[in-house]
Amino acid sequence: MRFLDHLEEWFITFLMGAATLIIFVAVMHRYASGLAIPGVQDWLLGLNFGWAQELCIIMFVWMAKFGAAYGVRTGIHVGVDVLINRLEGGKRSKLILFGLLAGATFTGIVGTLGARFVWENGFHYAFLSWFGTPPEDLPEGPTTPDLEWPTWIVYSAVPLGSYLMCFRFLQVMTSFVRTGELPHHDHGHVDGLDEGPPEPGEEDAIYRMEDGLHPHDLRRGVDRREPTMTSVAPDVERRSGVDRRKDPRLGDGQ
Amino acid sequence: MNTMLIFTLLVALMLTGMPISISLGLTVLSFLFFMTTVPIESVALKLFTGIEKFEIMAIPFFILAGNFLTHGGVARRMIKFATAMVGHWYGGLGLGGVLACALFAAVSGSSPATVVAIGSILMPAMVKAGFPKRFGAGIITTSGALGILIPPSIVMVMYSVSTNTSVGALFMAGVIPGIVLATMLGFTTWHRAKKFDYPRQPKATWAERWDAFRKAIWGLFLIIVVMGGIYTGIFTPTEAAAMAAVYSFFVAVFVYKDMGMKDVPKVLLSSANMSAMLLYIITNAVLFSFLMTHENIPQEMADWMLGTGVGVIGFLLISNVLLLAAGNFMEPSSIVLILAPILFPIAMKLGIDPVHFGIVMVVNMEVGMCHPPVGLNLYVSSGITKLGITELTIAVWPWLLTMLVFLVLVTYWPTLSLWLPRAIGMIN
Repeated sequence: MRFLDHLEEWFITFLMGAATLIIFVAVMHRYASGLAIPGVQDWLLGLNFGWAQELCIIMFVWMAKFGAAYGVRTGIHVGVDVLINRLEGGKRSKLILFGLLAGATFTGIVGTLGARFVWENGFHYAFLSWFGTPPEDLPEGPTTPDLEWPTWIVYSAVPLGSYLMCFRFLQVMTSFVRTGELPHHDHGHVDGLDEGPPEPGEEDAIYRMEDGLHPHDLRRGVDRREPTMTSVAPDVERRSGVDRRKDPRLGDGQ
Repeated sequence: MNTMLIFTLLVALMLTGMPISISLGLTVLSFLFFMTTVPIESVALKLFTGIEKFEIMAIPFFILAGNFLTHGGVARRMIKFATAMVGHWYGGLGLGGVLACALFAAVSGSSPATVVAIGSILMPAMVKAGFPKRFGAGIITTSGALGILIPPSIVMVMYSVSTNTSVGALFMAGVIPGIVLATMLGFTTWHRAKKFDYPRQPKATWAERWDAFRKAIWGLFLIIVVMGGIYTGIFTPTEAAAMAAVYSFFVAVFVYKDMGMKDVPKVLLSSANMSAMLLYIITNAVLFSFLMTHENIPQEMADWMLGTGVGVIGFLLISNVLLLAAGNFMEPSSIVLILAPILFPIAMKLGIDPVHFGIVMVVNMEVGMCHPPVGLNLYVSSGITKLGITELTIAVWPWLLTMLVFLVLVTYWPTLSLWLPRAIGMIN
């Protein structure tokens, strides 16, 4: 389980960084190859970065699908909770459970639809090819325009990501039933802007992701029964004893 | 009938507090399944192809760039530069805060990020200098909202995605309204500081100003990279965003050295987390607008609206009220993605310029971010200033009022936003 968590984090971090680098290199290449440097120019012109845009899109879509699953775990998906935060305990938990169940249902259905699509658009063919010759009447499936990768591989982000997201919803649901707490993303926090020297044992705190991003943070999850809080409120009360307002952190992109 | 059903279902699902993206998706799935013969298999494909546009990819890049800038000490140097320039006038640090927010907004595409980046450094300094907390909080909360008006802006990318308007033209159109709003907020700050006789900074010498400028130049240069790059056509907006991300990484790690290599993965991960959330809303919003188009809802709404004989002025008023009301329940990206496809066709039929309408929507979103119950900027600055939401709401009102005046100005004076993109030939 821990392995899956790390793999997920590592994967989306990699996709984010790599996609940025690819576009950067492609743009640099476009302008550098216009410079008349003997030798270098020919070499640069020989390189083709026409596929960069397509690869970047594919990487970001994969990042979006797996990142959305990761987001369930970190509680970053915001909803309209003005109403439910005004309800008292019992009704509120029921609605939250309903919401989580709806999330699991939706992602489950989408995952299944996606899986069927991938199967029909080439995976079936590829699957049979691995074990001997594929039947004549089965389509091989389309490929992407620039990279000429089979689309079923590219599109498998939908079933894989959605099933993972479904699993995350169920995971959050079980932990909510057990502890009554939800993961909670704190938009009001910025890393590295603290005043004064850090306290002992807290030296690395500015880059620790203390925004409820990991399952073990669920235990410290915010008590959202506070009537004035919404999902975007910096939850001050989460870590008892420590005034988190002292270290505003960031994680936002509005 | 179907329109009512779809929206009732959507609102009901949303009110249960489930993520907005999920409620959009579930509405589409259940409607398609129970009420139409559209094969729901097409939904799965849409979930991929919905965000298969290079323009959308500007969003993750801008978020990444913004995170590097916030962590990398760019904000701190911009504040020093801003206060060196305007700190000696009435309002002192407060005025510097408005200018610093405007400068940071020109390199960041997000309002809460601007509030955090500027506020968390400036607020303690202001309190130390003897300003009341409320004064500082009011300034930072509202000036931070400039983040989405002054380009680059993530909300503008969202608008352009859902209406096929040019991102470049929108960015250019945001420049002058952004400067005007910054000036108006600065004036309010100056006026209040004068009225209550708040402290001023000693006047900086030109040598000090030059020194502050030299230190801030790395951050300020990014404005030229992004806007210049887009304007001259060297980069597409997405490429400019990617360049901004790499550039700000370089500045943060190698020039200012406020951040080490070991922190880079964390920044990448938190940017990916935020981007994935926004991209997930986009995919589901694309599904939703597919459903609306399939049911011909935007067309029907447009015909109905025009049938009531409402003119441009009336329609803009209705849009503003609707958008401000929506700002009470949802965050900007979702509002733009859900309401733009409905309002846009009507605006087009009334002959409103798409770029102008985009700017009006963005300014509405700005106002929504600064008032309760879901104003993200309010919560962010409440985290920084340790003021309660109620107190902050009171603290913010002079500037919020200024913003509302500005909203009327932007809504009914299209030239304000359209002059620059027209002058440089990006729109007709």
